Amino acid sequence: MLAIIKKEFLTYFKSMTGYIFMACLLFFVGLFFVLNNLLGMSPQYNGVLSNITFVFMLIVPILTMRLLAEEARQKTDQLLLTSPISLSRIVLGKYLGAVSVLFLTLIITLIYPAILSTMGSVNWPEVIGGYVGFFLLGCSLIAVGLFISSITDNQVIAAVVTFTALLLIWFIDTIAKGLPTDRTSGIIFACILIAAVAFIFYMAAKNWIVSGGIMAAGLIGVFVGYRMKPAAFDGLIAKVLNWFSLLSRYDDFSMGVLNLSPIIYYISFSGIFLFLTVRMLEKKRWS
Amino acid sequence: MIQVENLTKRFGQHVAVDSINFTVDSGEILGFLGPNGAGKSTTMNILTGYISATEGTALIDGIDILEQPEEAKKKIGYLPEFPPLYGEMTVTEYLNFVSEIKGVKTSDKKAGLDRIMDLVRIGDVKGRLIRNLSKGYRQRVGLAQALIGNPDVLILDEPTVGLDPKQIIEMRNLIKKLGKSHTIILSSHILPEVSEVCERVVIIDHGRIVASDTPANLSKGLGDTSRITLRIAASEKQALKVVGELQGIRSVESQGSMEPDTVDIIVQAEDNVDIRRPLFHAFSRASYPILMMKAVGMTLEDIFMRVTTQDDAVSDKGVR
Repeated sequence: MLAIIKKEFLTYFKSMTGYIFMACLLFFVGLFFVLNNLLGMSPQYNGVLSNITFVFMLIVPILTMRLLAEEARQKTDQLLLTSPISLSRIVLGKYLGAVSVLFLTLIITLIYPAILSTMGSVNWPEVIGGYVGFFLLGCSLIAVGLFISSITDNQVIAAVVTFTALLLIWFIDTIAKGLPTDRTSGIIFACILIAAVAFIFYMAAKNWIVSGGIMAAGLIGVFVGYRMKPAAFDGLIAKVLNWFSLLSRYDDFSMGVLNLSPIIYYISFSGIFLFLTVRMLEKKRWS
Repeated sequence: MIQVENLTKRFGQHVAVDSINFTVDSGEILGFLGPNGAGKSTTMNILTGYISATEGTALIDGIDILEQPEEAKKKIGYLPEFPPLYGEMTVTEYLNFVSEIKGVKTSDKKAGLDRIMDLVRIGDVKGRLIRNLSKGYRQRVGLAQALIGNPDVLILDEPTVGLDPKQIIEMRNLIKKLGKSHTIILSSHILPEVSEVCERVVIIDHGRIVASDTPANLSKGLGDTSRITLRIAASEKQALKVVGELQGIRSVESQGSMEPDTVDIIVQAEDNVDIRRPLFHAFSRASYPILMMKAVGMTLEDIFMRVTTQDDAVSDKGVR
């Protein structure tokens, strides 16, 4: 696995992608540092990190589009998949390779709070909290990008789809606010979700009986749930969308609060997408 | 060393490999022969664990590739149809990376790589970027990759495709040399190559094995070694008359005149009869010089065409 991390990390700097990613992120951190802290004469550094989250979302696809799509296109996945190394190690290796580029970039940006500390007093615990949050947010976004890269063998498609998915994540809180919160729409939404799960299962396993069973069990569950506790369906759509709201979890960190629950949230979010990536590669071998 | 039982692979409705069975003994070089799309690469991809079989089992040295993939993969070196090379790496970087993912001990790595680079002769390009290498060198780097970790089994998918004639000969000699210490499966659609390198040939077509034997036995079983073609300085009538008086002839046919005042005939002897001496004496007595005499054994091309077109002929009839 170490070999794959090393290879991925070095590959970023053999092509332009690593440099472009770093240059872009460093440029905007520097820009907002100058605007907010130097010209604005403020010792609040975490505003800079919050300001660049949007830019960051735009450039994550640069980091992730190549990861698995290019292996599939060049057929170098034949080497990895026929080597005595498990799929999950391959995926984890690639993920950590991309994460290490982000880590390196963030380490470099520590220069800015250091500069700031020579001119005034910097609240270091707050800055560290902001960095931890930003890094974990980045890890989650990279996991989404890695998963999307495993679906296609075309880098451009991977980049565009990742970009769209990340934009959706960015706007998800706004979208959630505009959706109906009444009980009926919650129930309909639950039914649609169950149908979608059953459909995905059918696509993967081509088994009518089991996917029909999932559908039936789900609908019974909705019915029983409605009888037991109808209030659970109030605002269900917003609740479900909130699971994907990566940014709302970032606010705590930005204020320098290190809470356990958002940390676990980010780690499990990444974990789920890494798991899905492994399943996707596994499925490609079977079909 | 390799046991394949009832191996089947379906891609949706399309059956790429249709319940094939074969075994490869330790130290054997097996040739996989078939037209494009016959299922050669699919079979190899299953054997190496790149894709999964729909049904059936493949055992490498008694280890099931599906159940204990990591153990089985350690025993296999695979050179796919397109060598899996990273263009942005140099040859040394690439081979180091492969050594690491194959779990070669750091202490053995350097010596192992030097030996392999020597064997496939890529030492002079080891510092160059792979994307700048010629096809011949890429193929050799691909082979070097397969040899890393000293696997017992080598699976080579069309190893000579795209090479120039000199490189093809080098590659064949190298494979023969490797065959002394490895079990090898190699695929090809070039027949002389398989007959030259391999000890046993499996002919595969439409996902099924249509023939399996040594190259020599294949030509014996399906073709005839007792067919002789002759060029005689005589008229067709005269030549046929001379042959007609001989014993042990099953049939004779004229091929017409290829040179002025000569005739070409093909003589088919009865089984286990060497007809060449009687032919010589008979024509010599009749004072018709023999300008050429050669045995028409069936080449692998003929066998190949015959076994792979037979099914089509049968199914065509079925349709009518």
